[in-house]
Amino acid sequence: MIIKDIMVRDVIVTSPSSTISDALQKMERNRIRHLPVVNDNKEIVGIISDRDLRDASPSIFDKKSEGHLDLPIEKIMITDVLTAFAGDFVEDAANTMTENQISCLPIEDNGKIIGIITETDLLYTLVKLTGADLPSSRLEVEVENKSGMLSNVAQIIKEHNINIHSALVYPATNISKKILVFRVQAMDIRPLTQAIISSGYRVLWPSNLEMNI
Amino acid sequence: MKNEAAFIYSPEQLYYKFSDEHPFNQKRLLLTNDLLMEINALNKQMIFPARKATDEELLLIHDKDFIDAVKKASDGYQPSSYTTTFGIGTEDTPIFPKMHDAAAWLVGGTLSAVDLIFEHGYKHTLNLGGGLHHGFRGKASGFCIYNDSSIAIEYMRRKYKARVLYVDTDAHHGDGVQWAFYNDPNVCTLSLHESGRFLFPGTGNVNERGHGEGNGYSFNVPLEAFTEDESFLESYETTFREIVEYFQPDIILTQNGVDAHCYDPLTHLCGTMSIYQQIPKLAHELAHKYCEGRWIAVGGGGYDIWRVVPRAWSLIWLEMTGQTDLLENPIPKEWLKKWEKESPVPLPKTWFDNKDIYQKIPRKGEINIKNERTVIKALKPIYETLT
Repeated sequence: MIIKDIMVRDVIVTSPSSTISDALQKMERNRIRHLPVVNDNKEIVGIISDRDLRDASPSIFDKKSEGHLDLPIEKIMITDVLTAFAGDFVEDAANTMTENQISCLPIEDNGKIIGIITETDLLYTLVKLTGADLPSSRLEVEVENKSGMLSNVAQIIKEHNINIHSALVYPATNISKKILVFRVQAMDIRPLTQAIISSGYRVLWPSNLEMNI
Repeated sequence: MKNEAAFIYSPEQLYYKFSDEHPFNQKRLLLTNDLLMEINALNKQMIFPARKATDEELLLIHDKDFIDAVKKASDGYQPSSYTTTFGIGTEDTPIFPKMHDAAAWLVGGTLSAVDLIFEHGYKHTLNLGGGLHHGFRGKASGFCIYNDSSIAIEYMRRKYKARVLYVDTDAHHGDGVQWAFYNDPNVCTLSLHESGRFLFPGTGNVNERGHGEGNGYSFNVPLEAFTEDESFLESYETTFREIVEYFQPDIILTQNGVDAHCYDPLTHLCGTMSIYQQIPKLAHELAHKYCEGRWIAVGGGGYDIWRVVPRAWSLIWLEMTGQTDLLENPIPKEWLKKWEKESPVPLPKTWFDNKDIYQKIPRKGEINIKNERTVIKALKPIYETLT
């Protein structure tokens, strides 16, 4: 999955000469926490966050001060902006964000802004990747950490004529194991679950079989 | 005095049968009817026939291509593309002879339930053959082909301009009905179900609130796995009371899937029979308070057809007809004797279950708190308009 698939295209931006007070209002109105700053050619020249703006606002303990609300954005904006490209992998962008402890990345094309991604977009992508948006049941299987396991379990699912909606493979806490999480398009997965257990795998969910009722 | 309630049943409803091994088994209709007859709560004069829904009626909700495919499949034509395109021929929803007719009869039963109220002056009607809430416009899903409730709601919208409140207490999310009216502000849906994290179909998250003009008219309460009676009922009563007051419907349609019972083999909720006494009781009360009594109840899921479904569905009819005093007697010996030979499990001899039918749930406190928070989140749009 690449950035182009998940980025927000209608980016709300501000200009270097706008005031801090304008920018604050714009963020509140749109319920956003970051504003890329672009010049007349849509080139990214800076970025500000709600935190940068709050730092420049008058303190609630100091009623007399007017703060710096009338100053232009360019006085306080961050100018070494980290960006990503539309063709980058989503996981690389996520990595950039975690490493630099930032929560948004403007997407550029030749220096011009064409989109933006935020933590929220990445989390929503995670929801979609786990496949819980179409009629399906969750199936979680613990397997040995070795080659061929996903294929073996998938083969059993195929034998039951059930379509897989999504599949995740990740390491278990015990490094000799892996966890497979499927969303499968079936309501009654008991026959499938039984077949997987009979083939010697441990099914972590559904787990009601242990209740013996 | 004329009866206020009508019971809908036709033997054609039994033809909705995928295979002998399939968990969706309409024998539960026979078991329920027989139990009600045995305790003299139901007689032939109270039973009204279902009918077969016409193609025009099915088209109120479903796509023509889909209906045509179901008809062709009924005649044995089943290309593999039907599985992905129309959801038929899967392990869940296999093809069977005359499936179109059988599914159309279930829909017709719910349409009869509508007509008996709007044309013949009944206050409450019960079609236990209906409640197939997973059917989509162009696709079968989760044992459901045509969606009787969606069709009946659209039929009431067009024919009687009624504002409909749909309340779904099946353990699975009522996705088909929700999506059919997701943009419609005149149809409000409430579904309580086991969270999609654990159970099919996966949807029914609390933030699915409707779209466009319909925003704020779709409510979901995804309950934690292993939720018990008390928390289930508290969630049900709080949301139902708040939503009916907010929406002010002309009629209430309840989907009475009974698979939230701890015996149910497909789900992981831990209800006992007492939730199935309280669910219709509240619906009955609120129908009289807000809708001059207009209340349609349909069936739905329920896969322990011996121990759970007959008792739970009988409770709806007893509530509807004010015959709950009959619950003071045990389950009649004649009924037990007639069916025990066929039943793979011992049949219950009392109407209500002992608490010890399932093991103690270790995370009970945590489950209850999570459910309470979910209810508050689900009702947030209503609470916000009040303040």
